[in-house]
Parts: sequence; structure tokens; C-alpha cells
Amino acid sequence: MSSPLPRFAFTGHLSAVGSLPAGTGIAVTPCNDLALATVIARKGQAALLAERIRALFGITLPTGPKRVAAGGVAFIGMGPGQWLATGQADGDPQVFAAKLKQDLIGLASVSDQSDARAVLRLSGAAARQVLAKGLPIDLHPRVFGPGDAALSQIALIGAHVWQIDERPTYEIAVFRSLAGSFADWLIASAAEFRIATMP
Amino acid sequence: MSGQARRLSSGGLIDRSRTLSFRFDGKPMTGHPGDTLASALIANGTVLAGRSFKYHRPRGILTAGSEEPNALVELRTGARREANTKATTIELYDGLEAHSQNRWPSLDFDLMSVNSLASPIFVAGFYYKTFMWPAAFWERLYEPLIRRAAGLGKASKEPDPDTYEKAFAFCDVLVIGAGPAGLMAALTASRAGARVILCDEDFRFGGRLLSETLSIGGQSGADWAAAAAAELVQNPAVTLMRRTTVFGGYDQGTYGALERVGDHLPVPLPHTPRQRLWKIVAKRAVLAAGAVERQIVFGGNDRPGVMMASALRSYVNRFAAAPARRLAVFTNNDDGWKTVADCLRTDVRVEAVIDPRPAVPDAFRRLAAQAGARLFEGGQVCDAHGTARGLQSVDVLTAAGSTVPVSVDGLAMSGGWNPAVALTCHLGGRPVWRDDISAFVAGAAPPGLTVAGAAAGGFDLRSCLADGLRLGAEAAEATGFKAAGSTVPEASDETLNLMPLWKVAGSRTKAFVDFQNDVTAKDIALAEREGFRSVEHLKRYTTLGMATDQGKTANVNGLAIMASLTGKSIPETGTTTFRPPYTPVAIGAFAGHHREKHFRSTRLTPSHAWAAEQGAVFVESGQWLRAQWFPKPGETDWLTSVSREVKAVREGVGVCDVSTLGKIDIQGPDAGLLLDRVYINTFSALAVGKVRYGAMLREDGIVMDDGTTARLADDHYLMSTTTANAGKVMQHLEFCHQVLWPELDVQMVSVTEQWAQFSVAGPRARDTLAKLVDPPADISNAALPYMGVIDTAVCGGVPGRLFRISFSGELAYELAVPARYGDGVMRAIVAAGAEYGIVAYGTEALGVMRIEKGHPAGNELNGTATARDLGFGKLMSQKKDYIGRVMAERPGLTDPDRPALAGFKPVKRADRLRAGAHFLGLGAEATARNDEGYMTSVAFSPSLSHWIGLGLIKGGPARYGEHVRAYDPVRGGDIEVEICSPVFVDPEGVRLRV
Repeated sequence: MSSPLPRFAFTGHLSAVGSLPAGTGIAVTPCNDLALATVIARKGQAALLAERIRALFGITLPTGPKRVAAGGVAFIGMGPGQWLATGQADGDPQVFAAKLKQDLIGLASVSDQSDARAVLRLSGAAARQVLAKGLPIDLHPRVFGPGDAALSQIALIGAHVWQIDERPTYEIAVFRSLAGSFADWLIASAAEFRIATMP
Repeated sequence: MSGQARRLSSGGLIDRSRTLSFRFDGKPMTGHPGDTLASALIANGTVLAGRSFKYHRPRGILTAGSEEPNALVELRTGARREANTKATTIELYDGLEAHSQNRWPSLDFDLMSVNSLASPIFVAGFYYKTFMWPAAFWERLYEPLIRRAAGLGKASKEPDPDTYEKAFAFCDVLVIGAGPAGLMAALTASRAGARVILCDEDFRFGGRLLSETLSIGGQSGADWAAAAAAELVQNPAVTLMRRTTVFGGYDQGTYGALERVGDHLPVPLPHTPRQRLWKIVAKRAVLAAGAVERQIVFGGNDRPGVMMASALRSYVNRFAAAPARRLAVFTNNDDGWKTVADCLRTDVRVEAVIDPRPAVPDAFRRLAAQAGARLFEGGQVCDAHGTARGLQSVDVLTAAGSTVPVSVDGLAMSGGWNPAVALTCHLGGRPVWRDDISAFVAGAAPPGLTVAGAAAGGFDLRSCLADGLRLGAEAAEATGFKAAGSTVPEASDETLNLMPLWKVAGSRTKAFVDFQNDVTAKDIALAEREGFRSVEHLKRYTTLGMATDQGKTANVNGLAIMASLTGKSIPETGTTTFRPPYTPVAIGAFAGHHREKHFRSTRLTPSHAWAAEQGAVFVESGQWLRAQWFPKPGETDWLTSVSREVKAVREGVGVCDVSTLGKIDIQGPDAGLLLDRVYINTFSALAVGKVRYGAMLREDGIVMDDGTTARLADDHYLMSTTTANAGKVMQHLEFCHQVLWPELDVQMVSVTEQWAQFSVAGPRARDTLAKLVDPPADISNAALPYMGVIDTAVCGGVPGRLFRISFSGELAYELAVPARYGDGVMRAIVAAGAEYGIVAYGTEALGVMRIEKGHPAGNELNGTATARDLGFGKLMSQKKDYIGRVMAERPGLTDPDRPALAGFKPVKRADRLRAGAHFLGLGAEATARNDEGYMTSVAFSPSLSHWIGLGLIKGGPARYGEHVRAYDPVRGGDIEVEICSPVFVDPEGVRLRV
């Protein structure tokens, strides 16, 4: 048989964007090709884990709510001894977690979360204004910049937010099942700004 | 009348180049940009703005701000109609429509004003005294009666077509109020580099600088304010929020603010909300909300044409509209005299100035003379006379004791100023009395909040500017910035010299304290006589200060009157409590985006789109939306569909999305140990590749949750929880690990959303799945027996995991695939099962089958049932400790007489069972004492062709075969049922092992 096609979390939920004024105030892009895994240090292995991550990826594991990226891989601190690792899925997201699990045997427990989260990239001049309508976090450049991350909530939906660059560009991960509700909020909140979506 | 007859020929902050049309009670009128509805009404010569609440007395416009008690209107029409909107805060727009309220048939001729004749009846405590007996009338007669009479405007009762939203803002320094003190504070803090948010409820910055003829640094106050705003807007670290009321102060420097985004437009701009509710988090805040002028209580002080002196100056100076032609000024302080000076420049003639102070400064005497006004030093206005058309005269009680009538069509009154201290009190602060200004000022302000200018009792312009400069700098420095030394600009000198006058003695007509709630000075005296002397009692007995304006112009007069009646001082008498919001906030603004289907977020299953295509009926299960059943064409009632689905599963094969069950990935060398401690049964000995059912208890010995846990590797388990308890169990495990046993080397994380999981159940389940699993997987009974688990790719390369577990009691599997493949794999399962007549089944059929198998679920795990009650006694390990073990052995929890799980079937097989029915002995009276338990779950069993039930009944399994009553007074049911084993189908469990 032919293998089934994936259905991505935001499929069908961002269609309303097409009826909004188009422009460049904010661009919305689903990150369908992002592989995700939680990495939780085993007891007493934090130092060795940090060493291994540095050796493998050239990444210094952050100890707070920060995102450190190198070569397409990033580690985002989400609690003491816990990280969300992101990488390129290349159409086969489970490979990232499986390889990480092998690489970190004895040092960390790794769980694939590529399908557990729906990640959306928001970029553009209006991104801060849009996020201010739901995210109770200060995103002013003096306070929150590229490399900063926060576990919070947006419109009653748990959200993991990290900033990529100074445009500003943010990536926001929500539970997959809530992608529709999150998109509803986003469309309602971004509607007054000129908006663009990329497939 | 010709358009804008009362518009002054020059001046004002209005744009005369543009004319706006609007209607009030259907009458066409015009105004200009910069007008409020109130100023435009005044410019059009409208004196009568509304009718009062109880007595339907004619009322005019009293103030020029958000403290307005009288001029409340219904704004807009149709679904956008908004009742009780203050004309003084509505920004005029072209096409505005407003209607007066609380009158019938018309504002000019209101039949309900006969209430005024009956006013002796409507005294304080009227409702309490009148609507007492008999009690049976309270709900049926009195309440509807009161509700009909109460309330001013009428709600549209249609859904609000506009949207609202919520937003968050953060700053170093929040400045509340953009008058001279606020602007100065914002300028100073922003010049130091701080992130500043400046909010003002008005649509133009400047506060009273816009309404007075003051000068700052050689500029007019209004020009200075415009220059200040122009500087602030250039600074990217400053956020200016006009039309924004900071209505509440909360913990940790959090403030609630309402931004009226689209209220000044006929309809909000596309894609923008009408209002936006802001939560502002400020490291420091400067309260510069100004002060509210207070009235003087005298006879007829509510007559149209009587106005606050500061409001009159606002209309004349800011809006170039003359509320009167022949004015009297009644002031107990210097500030009120500004009205005389300002009118000199206009065609408003000041006929008289009545100042209760025995002697006024020479400058004022000269001013009165210059205006051609009679001056009554030591005089008081005791009564004002007029009609709905306006004021006709005032009676002046002279220092000599005679009464002199003065013919006027307007009276400006000033009883002094009440600093706007509300925000300093929202966290429990109490205002303190200052004798020198006869006013309450902020007591201890909440941490991080300072009070500047008039809000702090410094009413003169120089104090306002100095306070703003000092506190703006202080706030900036407190948040880590260095304020450059600046100086206070030169400004007009102002004096107050107030002599308190709360109420004029010797008034012959009705003297009002609270205009909006029609509370008179006599009502306060009555409350005092009847013992309601505490200000909190006074408030509730008379309704003083309880209207939409919260008594901003009334309260201090009311308690001052009470103080004089009780012989106490005003500070001894005290004030009532200030609570948020400062001005009314629409519920819609608090709801924001979260209305209708967005009330809360909805979780969709991986196969949701497919199920919707199939025409599934969905049910809310917590946040989840799950397919409840899948009606086929021609099926009209749920029972037909559900019974068909059950039969199809039991005879062929069915598929159900069970992705909503909680899934917790538990890894680490101590994973088994953790599970042993949280489950009543043992998991450390479970073989890799096997699944076991487990139940966990709360610390108190009651069942918390149940589910299956699979062992995927030596150090890797996958736990499943019920849908409802997924979050709670995760929290529980985290608590156990982080608090109770941090020494365990175990890691866990929710993977609920990672996997789409489908139950494939029925005799043809294996045949169906065999077509889907990729080689070399072997799913024969030998290779994958009951309670086994394997990892296998499916559908040509989709990574999957196949559990051989059964909730239905049939040969069954649960297939898990990464959620993105859920939709595709559901379609593949249905295609593969087509030749076996596969059906999709929903939660309803799932429930029927679990009841047929006697599996306890949410209804049975009701927070009072123990493991023994539910038939899990044998699972309770004796060899290890686990959470809840000790408490589960309490005598009360081991009593054999406790209600325990059993099955029930109707003795008359055609009878329908009802969940919630209580069990009674056959001959027993239906009383709580005879209660033996209740029916927890019922279903029509397609397998047995009659209703079956599960329930918790005293003695439980020991009573199989006995008959009892299932008594259901709510739905009038009382039927005889037989107690039986809860397992109705395949009691030996043969089918699930084939």
C-alpha cells in the first residue's frame, strides 16, 4: 500500500488568514519540518550530559529559559535538567529523537515530541503587538531577545515561546490538539495588522 | 432652534471647520470634532438630559467627566445599543444616535414623575420595609416588581456584534492620568530613559489644563500639554494610551485598564475590537488621576441648570459651549471664582456670586464688580427653582438671614475637591482626612505606587508640576535610571482657601446627595434615626454611592452629613471601601476573545477531520471534542446508531480514536520502583514487551486513576491514564518524584499528544490489522498474546506501536502512530476493515461495551470508591508499600457493608434503567436513612437486548441475585432490579484472548 500522508497540526486551521489584509506586518509559518524531543538529564549526569552535548553539537546547554542553537540543532531550557531539543526533521522526524536517545544513553532520557507540539513561526514588525494580546510576558527588546525562551500561556493555551532573531521572529509551540484554538486566537489577534502566511 | 445656539463664537479645542451631525431622542443636532455628546448637547441648547432613577425628576448635565451621575443615555441603536453611557465621556462622531432613558412616554413629559409626588413612600429602606411579608411573595411578586422598576437604560438583548480583546503591557513607570502632574511625571521619567506608559481616560491629553485658562512657562496650559504629548510620542520607550481608564490596582504592580478603541466611531474599524482590556505590569506607578469636584447639598440642587463650577469652565473654555446665559456661582473656595473670571471673556453673564465665607479677598470683590455680579459674602444658596426646561431662579440666604431670589438660568457650584484616591485603596488602603483641604487623601499607597498632584491633595498647578517632576524622577530612579536635574516650569498661581460647607441648612425643597440613586439629605437623616449610622450601613440602607457612578460626587457629602448628625468628625465617620473598577467595565471586555465557542480552548483528536467528514456527532469530554457516535443515513436516534456500532464491534470489527487517554513516558533505572510506589500492584516485575492494568490511590486510600502501563525496555515504561485525569496523574507523579522521592533516578514527560491511538476491536480485529502492519511483524495470538506490545511500522513505513489490550472485551488492539499520521492511518484502518464490515465507533459505544464488561470508569471512580469497592482488592499488593496503602486499611474503608461495585438488570426486562437512581430495599420507605447506594452507569445492551447498569451498593458482590428498588425521584422512576455480576458479556474473558 502507499503510506499515508502526514496531516500537519495547523492544516485547515489557518485558512481564514486568506481573508485578512495581506502584507508584511506579520508573517505566520507553520514549522512542519521541525523535529522535537524532550531531553531530561539522568540523576547526577548533568555535567557529563553538558559535555556530550557540547561535543556532539557545539552547544552549551542553557541552565535557564534560554535557547542555544548551532548547525540546525537547538536546545531550549524548560526546567531544571530539562530541555526541548529541536532539529531538522527532513520528513522523518522520529530519527532526530531516536539518534539523540542513542547518543545520550545513560546520560538523559529522550522522548520524541515532534508530533506532540505544533510549532508556528511568527515574524515581522507587528509580532510583538500580536503576542501582547495573549502572552503575559514582556517581549520588549530590553527584556526578551534572541535566545530567550519562556514557558507560559497564550489565551488559556499552554505555550512555549522562544525568540529566533531581532526582526523579531518567534517560534511558539503549543500542544498539537490545541492548534485549531490557537490559530483562532492568532487570526483574531493578528487581523488588524497586515498578515502573510507561508505554507 | 437654529444649530448650536449656545456655541460661543470663538475659542475652544474643537475643530469648527468640520461639522458632525447627530441625533438625541431623534432630534437632529450638530457639533464639531473635539466635542463630547454632553458639550454638543449644551451647544445645541439642550438642558434636560435624563430622568432620575426613583422620582423621575428632570436632570441636566452636572459634570464634564467620568464622574457624571445624571446624563446617562442609551448610545447607538439595535444590537449596539449601550445603556447608561455617560454623555460627558462620549466623543462625538458623525451619525451618533443617543436616547435618553428612564422616561415614558418622553423625556419632556414623563408620566412616571408622579413617583415624585409619592416620594414620602420612596424613602431610605423603602424596599426593606415594603416588600417583607408574606415570604411567599418574595420571588413571585416582589422581585419581578422591583426588577421592572429598577435600572435605568435597557439592554439590547441581542448578541454584541463587536469584538473585544485582552492585552498585556509592561513598563518601568506607569503614569495614570495625563493632567499637569501626569504629563510632568511622564516627561521626567521618559527623559531619564525609563519605559513609560501614560494612560488617560480622555481622548486628549492635558486633564484640566484643557478646561482652565492657566499658563505654564509662558504657554497656555493646553499648548503646554500638546507640546508635552508631542515630545512623549517621539520617544519609542513611551506608550501613550488615550481613551484608556486605569480602573483597578492589583497585586505586584499590576493594573487593569480599559482602552476604548472604537467607542468614538460609529462602528469599530475592520478587524479591531471595540474595547481592549489591558493588564499592565509596572515596576512603579504614579497616580495622577486628579480630583473630582464635589457639590453642595441644598434644595433643588439637582435641577437642570445646576452644574459643577469646574464643569461649567470645561464647557466654556474647552468646548466653547455656554450652559447658561445668566449664571450664579455658589462656591465655598477660591477655585470656584475662576468661573467668574472665565465667564468675563464670554457672553455668559454672572448675575451673582454666593460665597459662604464671611469675607472674600478684595481681588474677588473687584472681580465680582467687574463682572457686574451681586456678591453675597457669607451667603448660601438654599433653594434652586426650575422646571424640566431649565433653572429659573435661586434663593440666596444672606449673611443677614434674609432670603433673596436671583433670577438665573444656570448655577455653578463648588463645594471643594475630592482627590481621586480609589486606586490607592484597591489593595486595602484607607484614605486619611486632611483638615486643611477638607478632603480625604491617600493613606499608605500600595508598594510601588506614588500619588501626585491633585490626587494627592495638591490642587494648585505649581504643586501638580512639582509633584510630577519629583515623583516621575523618583520612579525612574527606582527602576534603574538616572533622572537629569530639571526644574519646574513657571506656572499660574492657584489658591483654594476652602471653608467646608456640605449641606445648606434651611432648604425648603428636596436636597439631593446622590443624584443617580435619588438619595436625599432627608434619607440620610432617616437612616441615622433608624440606627444605620455606620457608613457601610448608610450606604446599603439608602443606596448612597451604589449607582453606576459609585457616588463620586456624592459620598463625601453624605458621610459629612452623617458625621454632623452623629456628632462625630468626618475621619471618625470614615469612608466606605473603594473597589475596582473605578468606572464601569463591560463584561465583554473581561471575556475578550473567550466568548461562544472560544469560551475555552478545544482539543481536537488526530482523526477529527476524518470523523467530521463521516458526520460524527461530537461530545465535549473535558477540553476534548470526541466523536460520540457516527450516525448512518436514516438513523434518527442515538440509540440506534450506538447499538449498531456495538453489535458491529462484537460481531465483526470497529475502530475508535482513543488518543485522548493520557500517556506518560517514564524512563530511568528507577522507573519500575516509582511505579510500584504509585500503583497498588507491582510493575517492576513486568516483562519487557508486556502491558499490565494498574490502579493508583490517593494518599487517603481512595482510587485516583487507573489504566494500563507497558514496559518498553528495562528502563522504559509507558503509562496510560484516563482522559479526564491525564493532567492530574502527571502532576501527581511529578510531586511524588520531586517532593517525596527525589533520590529516584527516573525521568518522565507527557507524550499524550505525540501519539494518535486507535482501538481496533472485534473478532476481525487481527485480520484487519494484519493487512496494515509492515513485515516482519507477527501479530498472531502466539507472537502477540493478550497484554503484549510490539513496535512495528505500519502502512508502509509509518512508525507504530501495537498494544494487545481490550476495553470492549473483544479481541482488540490499540495501534499508536505519530499524531501526524493519525488521519491517514485512520483512513487506512477503515479501508483495511471494509471487507469485514468495519464501523467507526464513538465514545457512546465505547461506554456501552465497558459497562457490558463491568469495567469501572469515571462514574465509578467517583472520589469515594476504594480499590476494594471497585473489585480491585486482589490487586492490592501485600509485599510492598504504595501511596494510599495505610489509609486504605482504615476501618471505614474496609467495612464489608460499604457500597461496592455490582451489576444491575431490570426484573421487568423492558424497564429502562437510569443512572443516579438510588437503591432501596423492596419494602423500604424512600428516605435517606434507607439509601443503599446508587446506580453509577447504565446502558442499553445490544448484546442482551435490555438495559443494564453498574452501581455501588451496600454489600455489593455478596448480594448477587437479590432484588432491590432503583428509585429515581428526579425522573419519577421506581423499578425493581436484580443485583448481578457486573460482567454481562463473556464473563470468562475468552474472546479477548483468542
